[in-house]
Amino acid sequence: MKSPGPVLLVENLHKSFGGVAAVAGVSFALDAGEMLALIGPNGAGKSTCFNMLSGQIRPDSGAVMLNGEAVGGMAPRAIWRRGVGRTFQITATFASMTVRENVQMALISHHHRLWRSLRPARRLFVAEAEALLGPVGMAEQAERAAGELAYGDLKRLELAIALAHAPRLLLMDEPTAGMAPAERGGLMALARRLANARDIAVLFTEHDMDVVFGIADRILVLDRGRLIAEGSGAEIRADPRVRAIYLGSGETSGGH
Amino acid sequence: MDALAVSLLTGLADAASLFLVASGLTVIFGVTRVVNFAHGSLYLLGAYIGWSLLTRLPHSPLGFLLGALATIIALAVIGMALEMALLRRVYRVPELFQLLATFGVVLMVQDIAQYFWGAEDLTLPRPPWLRAFVLIGNQRFPRFDLVIIILFPLVFGVLWLLFRRTRWGRLVRAATEDREMVAALGVDQRRLFTSVFALGAGLAGLGGVLALPDASANLQMDLSSVTDAFVVVVVGGLGSLPGAALASLLIGLLQSFGIMLIPRATLALVFVVMAVVLILRPNGLLGRPISGSGGGTPALVRPAPMALRAAGGAALCAALLAPFYLGDYALAIATEMLIAMLFAASLHFMMGPGGMASFGHAAWFGIGAYASAFAAHLLAAPMPLGLALAPLAAGVLAVAFGAFVVRLSGVYLAMLTLAFAEIAWAIAFQWVDLTGGDNGILGVWPAPWAAGPRGFYWLALGVTVGGTLALRHLLATPFGYSLRGARDSRLRAEAIGIPAARIQLAAFTLAGAAAGLAGGLYAYAKGSVFPTYISLGHSVDALLMVLLGGVATMSGPILGALAYTGLYDLLLAATSLWRLVLGAAIIVLVLAFPEGIAGAILRLWTRLRPA
Amino acid sequence: MLEVAGLCSFYGRAQILRDIALDCAAGEVLVLLGRNGAGKSTTLKSLIGLVRPQAGSIRFAGAEIAGAEPHRIARLGLGYVPEERRIFTTLTVAENLDIGRQPPRPGIRPWTPARLYEVFPNLGAMPARIGGRMSGGEQQMLAIARTLMGNPRLILLDEPSEGLAPLIVEQMAGAIAALKREGVGVVLAEQNLYFALGLADRAVVIEKGAVVWQGSAAALAHDEATRQRFLAVGAAS
Repeated sequence: MKSPGPVLLVENLHKSFGGVAAVAGVSFALDAGEMLALIGPNGAGKSTCFNMLSGQIRPDSGAVMLNGEAVGGMAPRAIWRRGVGRTFQITATFASMTVRENVQMALISHHHRLWRSLRPARRLFVAEAEALLGPVGMAEQAERAAGELAYGDLKRLELAIALAHAPRLLLMDEPTAGMAPAERGGLMALARRLANARDIAVLFTEHDMDVVFGIADRILVLDRGRLIAEGSGAEIRADPRVRAIYLGSGETSGGH
Repeated sequence: MDALAVSLLTGLADAASLFLVASGLTVIFGVTRVVNFAHGSLYLLGAYIGWSLLTRLPHSPLGFLLGALATIIALAVIGMALEMALLRRVYRVPELFQLLATFGVVLMVQDIAQYFWGAEDLTLPRPPWLRAFVLIGNQRFPRFDLVIIILFPLVFGVLWLLFRRTRWGRLVRAATEDREMVAALGVDQRRLFTSVFALGAGLAGLGGVLALPDASANLQMDLSSVTDAFVVVVVGGLGSLPGAALASLLIGLLQSFGIMLIPRATLALVFVVMAVVLILRPNGLLGRPISGSGGGTPALVRPAPMALRAAGGAALCAALLAPFYLGDYALAIATEMLIAMLFAASLHFMMGPGGMASFGHAAWFGIGAYASAFAAHLLAAPMPLGLALAPLAAGVLAVAFGAFVVRLSGVYLAMLTLAFAEIAWAIAFQWVDLTGGDNGILGVWPAPWAAGPRGFYWLALGVTVGGTLALRHLLATPFGYSLRGARDSRLRAEAIGIPAARIQLAAFTLAGAAAGLAGGLYAYAKGSVFPTYISLGHSVDALLMVLLGGVATMSGPILGALAYTGLYDLLLAATSLWRLVLGAAIIVLVLAFPEGIAGAILRLWTRLRPA
Repeated sequence: MLEVAGLCSFYGRAQILRDIALDCAAGEVLVLLGRNGAGKSTTLKSLIGLVRPQAGSIRFAGAEIAGAEPHRIARLGLGYVPEERRIFTTLTVAENLDIGRQPPRPGIRPWTPARLYEVFPNLGAMPARIGGRMSGGEQQMLAIARTLMGNPRLILLDEPSEGLAPLIVEQMAGAIAALKREGVGVVLAEQNLYFALGLADRAVVIEKGAVVWQGSAAALAHDEATRQRFLAVGAAS
């Protein structure tokens, strides 16, 4: 039942803040099952781009097409309902709920039970929530408060939440920021497996070049709001412009 | 033309007085993030201390100047002492508990002032130079007020330079953002905070002493001044000095021209202005969004343990049987306690899980009470209908007004609810034809079956228990969880399809309706309805009950209502200095149990029974 | 210059640090390595006094500073650059630097804005820029420069490479090397092994709040087994 064409099509996206262009004419496409990395210097406009795709920021102009439907400028809620899951650079979870309840809330919302059920929320979709926590390795911690989780575990929880409504597109903003190198590989390998198994398109930003070159099918490079390069890992590494503005000599990272 | 000019000058003088008090408040808030209700008490002390000094000094301009300077210094010292003794200890507790602690100070200062200076208003002897007028055309304008007007730009300019051009000012601005980081860079932030508090207190003292020539020192000036000052600070944008100046001008001028244009709406005017500004600019005129004020991570909410349920059941049984072992007077008190519980539970619903604190929750209580009274009088409705109309009226108004409220957060949200409550109060007070004004509406009698103390007690018990349990159950449903989710992380809520604003509006409406129900009950319990039901004091009562009990669990507001009404009744009977004792008790409770009574019991429970 | 022994810290009732011991001399770069949540940040916060240690001794520049208030520790010449940078976003670059200013310290060539702008040319180009309008990399540089204004003898850096573009990380490494040449001691908490080992003289590996390995950076670079066991690097790349 896959619709033809790319899952996500972005055309000529623009956004300015106070007269300063943060994103200036970005276009790209993303297919189902593909992992696309968005890299670039700090302040290049990556997060702004992300927030326009998931609805936190309204684009000034340009189109965001999701499975052929224009979703640019829609509220985050509406975009989520159309099958877009996202994780945040600074994790956002419900601290006063358990790990399982966090996932249950996403399920409850997905199944339109927010207003309609007078049953206790913690008894709804228990098995479904467990089934989502298993693959991300959070099953043992299901009863713990989200507010007291370690950072890496919060990232895993966010992934489980983002997968609750069986999304077709997953947006991950710096998914491995603040994680140890080994954890990074593990989380992104997990995302890779899930993307393949469920045919999810994944767009992520990342500063760890090991992760980017190891995981991404394709890489976009953003600088001052414009795409300056696009291609495979090898192509991007060889691009002198990318080296000059972003990668440098490569001595401080293991990217080789 | 001359009348206009005089109105303009009067407005400017009002604006200057407002600014002196509000500037201190906004500076203190900016740095310490403490909503300092005691700022009005500092103003009050400024007036009284100023009076004591000025009546002893020569009644000359020089004497006045010396007295004013001495008052500023005295208040700065008092402010320092207050900061070091109390506020320093509460910087890390959630901001509403800070507010509670400062309210304890308000109560204590009221009794202290009454003890030293008596209950009478104190006026200054007015030597000729103070009585002097200038002529504007054929209109007279007090010369002293010109001095106040000149002080406005003067004080603003000095403060502006202090904050922009001195290292102290830069340090203060940096500490406003991140105290810890400032300390890690080698700055003694405690001395910085103390000095800021001293500055703010000194300004309040100046405001107090300057109020003397035109008015008097009286015991009511603390709450009235702090309310006005808060309005100015919020309209200008919390922590913004230019904002406070702009808002002072706006409100001062509107007041003086408003009296000319629509004299009947004077009491509400200021709050209408605040409501409009907040609806249009959710962070005030020149304010910026306040970053998370470090209230800490919300604790995990778990279903009540069996032992607590058992205790609740036992308490309910004891309450059901109370008419068989309590006398009529005790039953009447118990009825009031029950109503207070429902009132507190309704505020807790929006404040705890909803994260929306209200300074004006009495509005819904009062609207419910007036709805029942109107039903009884205008419609000659029987009590059940009157009681049903109370939550309905409160709920309908809450949904209309709540649409604006849920767009705000934190102190701004609380102040918008205050604005609405003050407007409602002004209507109840000033629309005499409809509400009877200060005389209220009498003769709201319950149905015969509930007319006796026993019958009405059981009615109140049924309504309160039913209402509270219904609210409690809602918190466990997906709706209640969504409400908590929107509080924990609005970003996450929206990102998984939870319509945070609509959920909050629904909670606000339910809280209003439940408070309205409590108000309706109260109307029938007392047989009468007065504007005081909507007063700020009554809203503060509700806040105190919830905070004393603890916001984390549903048992908090119930215990808080019991403790507060119990303490209040006890103290009122036992001592004439009840405010002093109550204020001290509140401060001790905040310092000893920052998680409230219910939270403290829970902590004790988990400590006694590990795992 | 810095000697830590038996350091234990708690968050609430949870013990985060157990018996941490480490030392750092003037002009030396010591790197703290360890997984996420191992206790690196808590160690640095305990040293500067933002977390009050329950037990242990911290001797710095001849004084015992365990349990002292942060501003007193900072005035002894211990600088701290937090992980989140914590720039004053409403103050300009120049004003941010001024907040960090402390009187000159004997034996330290006093840092001035002019000198810092030489080390961090990006900052020199924007002294009037508001902190909140700077990119992550610029903020990180400002955070370090602001701390240097206090003329520290030793500086604690919490994950300075986190979230920064590779090119900026290289510039950061250059700046830290310059500090070392000035004779400033550096304690660096890092996850980026390549960045850290390129700069460090010695390394301390922390696991679950306790020191599990220490030695020279060169030794760690060759000790595949230790890296695998405590840092689990090499498995992914």
